[in-house]
Parts: sequence; structure tokens; C-alpha cells
Amino acid sequence: MSSQRQASSAAQVPHLSPAELSYLYTSLALPQNPIRPDGRSPTQFRPLSAESNILPGTNGSARIGFADGTQAIVGVKAEVERTVLISDTLDVDQDAETVEGAEESASAATGGHGSWVQMSIEIPGFRDDDALPVFLAEMLRESLVGSVGGNEDNGERHMAGGLKGRLVINKRWHWRLYIDVLLLSQPLSYPLPLLSLTTHLALLSTKLPKLKSTGEEDPFFDDDWAAAEYLYPRSSTINSNPSQQVRPPVTLLVISVGENVIFDPSREEIAVADAVLAISFTRNSDSDTGTDEPLKLLLTQRGIANSETENGNGPDSAAAAEEETPGVWRPRRGGIKRSVLAEMMKTALKKGGVGEEVLAGLEGVEVA
Amino acid sequence: MNDRRRVNGPAEGTRRPVFACHVDTASAPTRPQRQREPKAFRKIALETGLTRSASGSSYIEVQPSPPPASYNSLIPHSSSLKLACSVHGPKPLPRSAAFSPNLVLTTHVKYATFATRKRRAHVRDASERDLGVHLETALRGAIIADRWPKSGIDVTVTILEAEDDRWWADAPDSHDASWGMMNVLAGCITAASAALADAHIDCLDLVTGGMAALVSDDENPDAPPKLVLDVDPSEHRSIVAACVVGYMPGRDEITQLWLKGDSSNAVLEDGDKRTVHEALIDGAVTAAKSVHAVLAEVVRESILAAGQ
Repeated sequence: MSSQRQASSAAQVPHLSPAELSYLYTSLALPQNPIRPDGRSPTQFRPLSAESNILPGTNGSARIGFADGTQAIVGVKAEVERTVLISDTLDVDQDAETVEGAEESASAATGGHGSWVQMSIEIPGFRDDDALPVFLAEMLRESLVGSVGGNEDNGERHMAGGLKGRLVINKRWHWRLYIDVLLLSQPLSYPLPLLSLTTHLALLSTKLPKLKSTGEEDPFFDDDWAAAEYLYPRSSTINSNPSQQVRPPVTLLVISVGENVIFDPSREEIAVADAVLAISFTRNSDSDTGTDEPLKLLLTQRGIANSETENGNGPDSAAAAEEETPGVWRPRRGGIKRSVLAEMMKTALKKGGVGEEVLAGLEGVEVA
Repeated sequence: MNDRRRVNGPAEGTRRPVFACHVDTASAPTRPQRQREPKAFRKIALETGLTRSASGSSYIEVQPSPPPASYNSLIPHSSSLKLACSVHGPKPLPRSAAFSPNLVLTTHVKYATFATRKRRAHVRDASERDLGVHLETALRGAIIADRWPKSGIDVTVTILEAEDDRWWADAPDSHDASWGMMNVLAGCITAASAALADAHIDCLDLVTGGMAALVSDDENPDAPPKLVLDVDPSEHRSIVAACVVGYMPGRDEITQLWLKGDSSNAVLEDGDKRTVHEALIDGAVTAAKSVHAVLAEVVRESILAAGQ
């Protein structure tokens, strides 16, 4: 098993010489205008092809393929499940029948629970309990269930409580969501952005059957699939602002090289990065249209791809001499300054920034 | 993944008996309140070199907050974080492993089965693997790995008592995310750093873990959440967002950052120009700095003791 893992992780690390890595770092670290190996601008993404609703047996599905040949498919399945209300702790309040005790358990039933969303990621060459798939699945799931969602305004129904709240049918029943992510190709670059974008698209196209029963009855659904409702409601009126709708979060990979902030890094670029940051965000549906922060941050993790930056390529020939040798790349040591961190987040989240652009682009994918 | 080769105890649902000797509302337990200032910390006890067989080891314990005055339940009112860390290595890599010019770092984080109020399984689950990856990120930035080519080092953290995710009497759904894990990670980073120093592994600085969170205690859900450092999740009605950093004070650099939660509704004090997540990160860094004082003192003591 270990040799297999070695092979697959070795496949991720580019075989570049110290001189090549040094060249790459220098060109990416050029002040103001970095030169990327594939000629993109710092905020430009690799071209991708996307389609949704491709699997008829699921509630929602999507496929995204990057130009380098990596492809992912996501299928979303929903099941109705009975909500268990038994508290596992000794609840003295319940015996005493205080008002507070009743209130607490009621709020649990209406607020939804994070464990109702299950996520599994399959990456070729990795076991299902290897660190990478588990870590990626946790990260995507955390940001999905972490969003608190929108308020109601204009009388339009919004998703109070975010995705968790949307899964509640009534006090006794809820939906359980299974999100299965399948990476079809070898992980040529760090697969996080690909998997996150595909999951976003699949959730956008997910439909749940229309509920016919009301209140606390046992749920009973309309069997007309055409009447099904979107999991993330689409705007019913034409003039309603799309920026006020709740959308599933997107996770982007951002790297910093020198003073530059670079989006959607390729494998080679990650190998020389000073810092790698994963940022999850979604539309800030609470804010009015005029605010500075159209996006809200859900989750940030630093250094997720570090195993690729420092482990694989150890071409530090100058190990004995501690000084830097020009033209020979050495793996970077240490952490990241707070100012750089703030700059990376600002570039992703600011109004008119990369994050908004990505969300708008994904919205444009035709949902059949 | 299930462990099919052993007959394990039930993965969950065993708990020691607790007798409900009081059902009158007057003596029903109330939620503990945070007695400390928002920027005050719980006391920590840190010791190195307890595990003689390991090349470096450490033990960290966080003092639990004092019980409320009228607390007479048999159930412990709050948890206190206790974890032990041991470092094995540097040792040669196994023959089958590929060549590595750097020190290969592996981290294992494991909850003891009795660490939480709900029993944990023997097999490592997703959250433990997740913690392991976070810890590895935090340490990797600090270790000078190119001084040990072809070697490996194992960092093993055993959590003897974990932080609660919520107040024990709350309904299990009320605190959804596992906020206790964030405190555990901060403790893991500090303990692992002390153990690395005890094992005499060359590092750039003593990396320390710090935690800060935005909490809302008010009955009124619209009240703005407050920023507090070193949060005990059981003391707060709800946690809006939390942040853990691995921080190197000597270089003012962050090696690991984990920021979680929806902070879009939060409002900072007047005159504060920072965004909410920047304030959170700064808070966590402040927490890490204060822990660093303890860590540095402990490491200095252990070196002096070894010299005698």
C-alpha cells in the first residue's frame, strides 16, 4: 500500500531542477506583473468546460474538466430521514418541564444539523481513509454547513439557516444529502478548486421533490418531477437581484509568491509558492447591494498544499552553506506575514474581485 | 471504515451512570458563565520530558474554569484540555521508502476513547485525521527539515481529555460545528512544539497555537457578537466564528491558519478599521503570543535542568 501511495504522491510533484524552480520563482515574484508559465494573468483561471444535470439517477449532478485533462463528476442524492430528537445527555430540564428545555429541543429541530450533509471524495490512487481525501471532504463540508444563510426581505423566501435550514422538512423529518465527488483523472494539480467548483455546480442544479403535505404531517411529495424545487432557490421574479440569493460556497486556492497574489495555481506554481491559502466564500445575501463586502468568508486554511511545496522537491544543493546561492532554488522556510495574508483575502473577496467573478461565471452555466 | 477484525465496544452510547438526584428546577444546573475578561486566559500547565522512551515529549493541561457557586451536580461542569505528545526520531527512513533529502514529518492525533463525554472509537476517524493534517502544516513551517536528509520523525499526540463542543446539558444539535476541536488543535501545536524542543530538533522558532472566537451570549439574536480569546465553548450560547493559528512570535509569521464560521453579521467596535476576519486572526495571534511566554519558560527550565 505504501509503495502505491508513494507513487501517486510522486506523480503530483513536478520533476523540476533547482535551476528551473529558481527561474519559475523569480518570474512569478516579479513586482507588479508576474509572468506565469502558461501566460495567464495573476487572477486568470485555466479554461474549463462545465455541464450540469448529467446523471439522471441523481437529484443534481455536474461535471467539470480543466484544460489540463483533470475531470471531476459530482452526484448529489437526497433521502428523507426521521429526525431523532433524543438528547444524548441527561437533560434535567426535560423532567422538570421548564419552558427553556422545550425551547432548546425545538430550536434543534428547526435549525438543522451539519451531519445531515455527507460528503465523500474519491481520488484515484488514494484509499478512502487517506489524509488527502478526508481533509478535502472535511473542508468542503465545513464551508457548506457553516453558512448561516440569508434574511428575508422583499417578502421573498430566503434560506434561513442556510443549507442546514433548507434540509428541514418539519420537526420530525428532514432531508439527508449525500454528495459524492469522483475525480476521474489522476490529480495532476491540487484538486481542491476543481472539486469545489464541481460541487457548487451540482448543488445549484439539485432539485428536491415538491412537498404536498403541510405542517407536522408525515411528508408526502408531488410525484411530478417537473414540479420539483431547487435546493438553492432560483429567483422567481426577473428583476430580483441575483446577488441577494443564497448560493453554495466556493473554495479557491490562492498562493503568494514574493509580493504577488496568484489565483488558480498549477502544480508547478504551487511547488514554489511562499504560502498556499484555501478560501471558502459565498454571496453575502444579508447585505444591501451597496456594501463593500459582497462576499462573506466562511473558511480559510493556510498551507494546505504544503506537502507539495516542500516535501517532494528537495533540490537544495546548498544545504551545507547556509547562504542563498543565486539561481539555485531552496525550499522556503517559515510562515507567512499577516499583511500578506490580509492582502490575499482582500484580493479574493473585495467588490468586483475574483470571488464575485467566479460566482457570476458559475451562475452562467446553463442548468437544464 | 469499520474495524471488522476486533470485537469493539459500542462506538458511542456508553456513558457512566449519572443519578438524577435533583429534578426540582431550583437546583437544575445553569449554563456556566465566562468569569474571565474577554482577553484573559485560562492557566496552562506544561511539562516536558515525561515519556522517557521517546526522544522528546510534553504534557499540557488547561485549567478548567471554576464551577458556578451553586453547582452540585455529579456531572463535571466543564472539561479541561489534557494532552500528551511524544516525538520519535529523527530516525532512518524504512528501506522501502523513497529517497527524501529532507526530514519527513508524520503526525498522528488520537483521542483516547475516554477523552470526550461521548465515547470515542479506537480507530482514527475523520476529525482525527483532519487534526493531524493541520498539526503537520503548523510544524512543517517551523522545522528546518534539510538538516536531516533521509530521516523521518513521528509526532504523536494523545488527547486524554478534550474540550467540550458545547455545554453538556444542551441539546446535541445546538452547537453544531465541533468548536472544541479548535481548542484541541491549539493545544496540540503548543505541546508538539515543546516536545520538538525537548527532542532537540532544529526549528526556526517555537511555534505556538492560539485560539480566538466571536461569541454571542445574548438572548437577543441580533446583538453583535463579541471577540474573546481562549474560548471555552461550554460557556457560550453560540459561537459565530473561530480561528486557530500556529504562530512564530520571533519572526511574526503564521505557519498555520484555520478560520471557520460565518462572520458576515459581526460588527467590530467603533473606530476599528479591520475587517472581522482580520480581527479574529489578530486575536488568535495575541493568544498565541501569551502561550509562547509559558512555552519559552518551560523549554528554558528543561534545558537548565538537563545542564545540571
